[in-house]
Amino acid sequence: MSLLGQILTPDLFAAAIRLATPIALAAMGAAIGERSGVVNIALEGIMLSSAFFGTVVAIFTHSAWLGVVGGVLAALVFTSLHAWAAINLQADQIVSGTAINILAAGVTGFLMEAIFGHPGTTDPIPTIPSVFDFPTGGTGFFGTLWTWIDTIFFSYTPLVYFGIFCAIFLTWALFRTRWGLRLRALGEHPRAADTVGISVLRGRWVAVLISGAMAGLGGANLALEQVGGFTEGMTNGRGFIALAAMIFGRWIPGGGYLASLLFGFADALQIKLQIFSDIIRIPPQFFLMLPYLLTVIVLAGVVGKARAPAADGKPYKAKG
Amino acid sequence: MTDSGESKTPKTPAPLKSSQEIEAEAAEKRFALEQERNQRIIRSITPFISIAIAMLVSSVFIVATGGNPVEAFSALFQGAFGSQRAIGETLLRSTPLVFTGLGLAYGFRSGLFNIGAEGQLFLGGLAAAWVGLLVGGLSWMISIPLILLAAAFAGAAWAFIPALMKARIGANEVITTMMFSYIGRYIVSWAVTGPLADKGGIPQTPQLPGNAVLPRLNLIFPFLKPTRAHAGILVALIAVVIVWFLLKHTVLGFEARSVGFNPFASQAGGISVSSTIIKSLCISGAFAGLAGAVEVMGVYGRLFDQFSSGFGFTGIAVALLAKNNPWGVLAAALLFGALDAGAGTMQLEANVSQKVILIIQGVIIFMIGAESIVTWGFERFAPKKVVAS
Repeated sequence: MSLLGQILTPDLFAAAIRLATPIALAAMGAAIGERSGVVNIALEGIMLSSAFFGTVVAIFTHSAWLGVVGGVLAALVFTSLHAWAAINLQADQIVSGTAINILAAGVTGFLMEAIFGHPGTTDPIPTIPSVFDFPTGGTGFFGTLWTWIDTIFFSYTPLVYFGIFCAIFLTWALFRTRWGLRLRALGEHPRAADTVGISVLRGRWVAVLISGAMAGLGGANLALEQVGGFTEGMTNGRGFIALAAMIFGRWIPGGGYLASLLFGFADALQIKLQIFSDIIRIPPQFFLMLPYLLTVIVLAGVVGKARAPAADGKPYKAKG
Repeated sequence: MTDSGESKTPKTPAPLKSSQEIEAEAAEKRFALEQERNQRIIRSITPFISIAIAMLVSSVFIVATGGNPVEAFSALFQGAFGSQRAIGETLLRSTPLVFTGLGLAYGFRSGLFNIGAEGQLFLGGLAAAWVGLLVGGLSWMISIPLILLAAAFAGAAWAFIPALMKARIGANEVITTMMFSYIGRYIVSWAVTGPLADKGGIPQTPQLPGNAVLPRLNLIFPFLKPTRAHAGILVALIAVVIVWFLLKHTVLGFEARSVGFNPFASQAGGISVSSTIIKSLCISGAFAGLAGAVEVMGVYGRLFDQFSSGFGFTGIAVALLAKNNPWGVLAAALLFGALDAGAGTMQLEANVSQKVILIIQGVIIFMIGAESIVTWGFERFAPKKVVAS
């Protein structure tokens, strides 16, 4: 088989969707948050905290699903800190988000040593299995076709499907429901929304909590469905890449999902190419930087054309 | 406080205000002035309150995991200041933080959040190692400044593309500098295993020649006991003065502060906002690059994969705690350097994880960011003063 044939296999595309999922979940949540006017630079830390606490709960309850719940709850705690600072105290949202990122690295690292007695990585735990388990296709044309279909459509864990569902549902909710219209009003002109009786405070809190829960699901997907355990700093910039994906997706949840696929594909490709590094003769570091490089290129090509919500990142102080 | 309100005549002569009205107006003015003064006082003590609350929060974590915070913090203090060796260690850890803190502070002053200082630091370290390996034979008076310049240039260059993207199309520098920081680390990881690799398979460069290394402080000042502290701290002091001078006494610094304060007014006033953004972010990157250089030249004498323990990120806390004042950066860098230096002793003697330092950092940044927490706390919990009117 040719080299290209060995690289472009069905599991490359399946891996792209799998690897895109944590980024996509966080990016879609971030789109909701920013549409309401709150920038969430803390995604990285929120994902990390969910990955850690999700793993801890899963280890002690022997239930990966309780782990997901625990992870999301931890994510909501960290998100609430950010929401309180950004919405109630009118803090600089970038600064408070950075604080959450560093705090999450500290808390997870600290508790890692306190609970497991060593820094680094937890013992591996069983990952959540995929939803479907169909028999593999045989040989011949139809066998190969079935392998492609089975791998690309039916090989995923539950949160991957949930991500695809969110891409459709959240886009619908944001643009076709009254809730969505009001939410967008908060991000474009909070004063006007306030005047007609929409609570800026409550609306933004709900949006930021949704964004935190989604980032939490992203972290849970990473730790409990993909890796099966926690490693310090395992999110590795995915929270920031999610922000770029959100911008590339033009603050539309579905757009954020599609943009994340690009990053997922870059990540899947770099993993695949590393296997062939003997043949291709490029140092592995250059493959590893691919997703980050792609983020920069995407931002360079897109940002000028995409418009952020008018009141994005601006604290709102009600006139009392 | 002077009663300026009462001595002034009302601006509108008719209808004449009754004496009670004048009295009430003056009282209102007094109250507003007093409130403003209170706010100023509260703001100026925010850093100290932040540190106190950060200690409190980290104590909760220590107690919750079965530790003793008093024991932990006294071990930390011993490790940071308990002996000349400990003080030397504190200076050693503070040195790169002065540079990254200055870089972040200069960025903040211009309204730029250079969260990827860590990447510029890595590139600065790489440039220092690369040039350092080439300067053999030169006098140290030429080679040391040459290496420092190369590192500053590399740091600035690594900030240049994010700066350009910010200035031209408004790409958020938080994302771009962060991405460049990951890319920079992979470049260093490649350099020390590839083109600059030492013999022997360890991912590091060869030892730098003597004229590329910053001497230990006790070699310059013979009355000091031998510690690991090196001449980088002297370079850091010079850098503080440079940043202070830049911000306070040059057009460049004025434009940076002006753009940071209000870009629209600056543009209207004839300052080119985009070129100021580019200059400021590159200057910020140059100082982060110097942080990498002093680590390579002063601490290790070579470059390797993991030579920075997050000095770029700690620089954020340093700059914020210092309220972006260069002299404040020096003080804040000493504080975080001391925390870093004492953390090892704390782990050994009180069995408390060093990661507690990150919790302290996070809480401090959070408190400074949400400055109004302190005001909010005062309003809610301080006894209310009855205002006479």
